[in-house]
Amino acid sequence: MFTLLSRICSGSGTMEDLDLLVSLCETIKETSLCGLGQTAPNPVLSTLKYFRNEYIEHIAHKRCPAGVCNMDAPAPVAVPTEVLA
Amino acid sequence: MSESGGVKTLTIDGQEVSARSGQTILEVARENEINIPTLCHLDGLSEVGACRLCLVEIKGSNKLLPACVATVFEGMDVSTDTERLRKHRRVILELLFAERNHICSVCVSNNHCELQTLAQQQGLTHVRLPYRNPELTVDASNERFTIDHSRCILCTRCVRACAEIEGVHVWDVMGRGINSIIISDLHEDWGTSSCTRCGKCVQVCPTGALFDKSKIGSDHPKYPDFLPYLNLMREAQ
Repeated sequence: MFTLLSRICSGSGTMEDLDLLVSLCETIKETSLCGLGQTAPNPVLSTLKYFRNEYIEHIAHKRCPAGVCNMDAPAPVAVPTEVLA
Repeated sequence: MSESGGVKTLTIDGQEVSARSGQTILEVARENEINIPTLCHLDGLSEVGACRLCLVEIKGSNKLLPACVATVFEGMDVSTDTERLRKHRRVILELLFAERNHICSVCVSNNHCELQTLAQQQGLTHVRLPYRNPELTVDASNERFTIDHSRCILCTRCVRACAEIEGVHVWDVMGRGINSIIISDLHEDWGTSSCTRCGKCVQVCPTGALFDKSKIGSDHPKYPDFLPYLNLMREAQ
């Protein structure tokens, strides 16, 4: 989750990352045993719900509307998104 | 219901089944040949409900329940194979693969691995999540066995087998969350620990994390089925 978010914040995220983030958050939320796991993905899910346009702005135009993310920062280590097991 | 005593009737995947009071959903499902995927569960060991693969849907409840620890109640309507559950199981397996270095092609348990079999059953063809590629050690100090932490999924079967069946409790889990690791004694080398070299942990390990040194390549089937038999024999004594 953190890797995906940093990737989006640094401007190297893709729209697939967004879908993956949602599906990951939902799984963690629904399958967790403890209260932390059941609630920890909530901030990510609610920002995705109410500020999805800002996520899309990061991905599509490599721009941070709130001026928080440093979009010139080097992307985190490039990892292939699909790796065979 | 009072005349039925300890017998409960419930529905699993549309099939009417009866169960004894106190049985878990998993036990009832397996008795009726309904397959629920599991990883941390093993017949003969206690349940931990940690792998979350056996989660099932109960009608009338929004929460998913782990079938290995949830007990049956009268009139329960269980679904074990819905689209929602399949999706969660795939993501859980992806997380397991991404967490450590699971490279089937060079693993001793290739083709005998429960993680690999489950991934095939769930139709997992690739992992969408970025791999973590952690740097983990291999402890080959035991003269008979080796532990490769890269292949460990922290199901704690070895911990339970050692503590409950062998009664030695050499294995335990150190650290929390992503830093968790299986250790022998107080994080000593396996070879100099209090291990009795019984090899039960190797047989119960679902992946190639624990393996026999005498076998090389992928010729490494495991036989964890002896546990219920062993327990039965001990109870009979």
